[in-house]
Amino acid sequence: MKISELKLLIIRSLDRNSDPAEASRKLEEAGVCYRFSEGFQAKILERLATSGNTVVREIESVRNLNNIFYRIALTGVAAIVILLISIFMVQGSLSVDSFLGLGTGSDESLLYLLTGN
Amino acid sequence: MIKESYRQKSDGELVKSSLDGDKQAFGEIVTRYQGMVARTVKGMLGDSVFSEDIGQDVFIKLFYSLPDFRGEAKLSTYIQKISVNLTLNEIKRRKRFFSTFSQRGNNEMYEFEVADHDTEEKKDAQELVGKALMNLDPKFRVIVAMRMLQGYSTKETAEILDLPLGTVLSRLSRAQEQMKDILEKL
Repeated sequence: MKISELKLLIIRSLDRNSDPAEASRKLEEAGVCYRFSEGFQAKILERLATSGNTVVREIESVRNLNNIFYRIALTGVAAIVILLISIFMVQGSLSVDSFLGLGTGSDESLLYLLTGN
Repeated sequence: MIKESYRQKSDGELVKSSLDGDKQAFGEIVTRYQGMVARTVKGMLGDSVFSEDIGQDVFIKLFYSLPDFRGEAKLSTYIQKISVNLTLNEIKRRKRFFSTFSQRGNNEMYEFEVADHDTEEKKDAQELVGKALMNLDPKFRVIVAMRMLQGYSTKETAEILDLPLGTVLSRLSRAQEQMKDILEKL
């Protein structure tokens, strides 16, 4: 098809009364065709397989993090319980002051400790 | 290679098999609709390797949105909507990028290669249509690509683009005017 004919075909194809299917077929015959490269489908399936693996890996790493968190949390709770028991055994009672190590200190000595005066 | 039996299956059956994890069934959907997606994506973005990436993204997005596909519309319409949305997003992204980082502006947004053709005449035809489309305003380009490359009627175009029929008709008429000016210069 000559370029001038092609231009006319393009403009006519945009007429609201023209048959779009017919125009599209004629354009394809004239050489206007768009295709993806060879192996397009294989690339998509490969990407899907890779993204699937990524999701699995992400789920596994989140699961590992959760396990680590539970272990740390349990160890922490156990340490706090042991500390409380030891304080109770040494002091004979349990209070916030003794828990913070302030049981025997007075306000003045604490002020001296912090300011040096 | 896709098995022959998949070629006999309907779109609905292929979607169901894909949802059950059958990658070969999804491969058949890709084979069936890649030409349609290529016409939309390459028609609107130009025939380049970057368009291939967007084409792949269309099918990847389709795969992950298959659970939401209720079968009320045709699968082809559903895929076409994804293609148009991703392509328009890419045009917006390029516009932002080139307006920020380039002084040449939109002229370099759509560099494209013309695929090999058996005759010089066909190659020229492809080049002319490619250049004409790239010079059109994107909101007209999508209407023209749907009609000229896909052969969709204005009603089908309106459905795919979620636009009122009147809007499609008015844009088509303005696109024709713009196209006349562009073709005069080419």
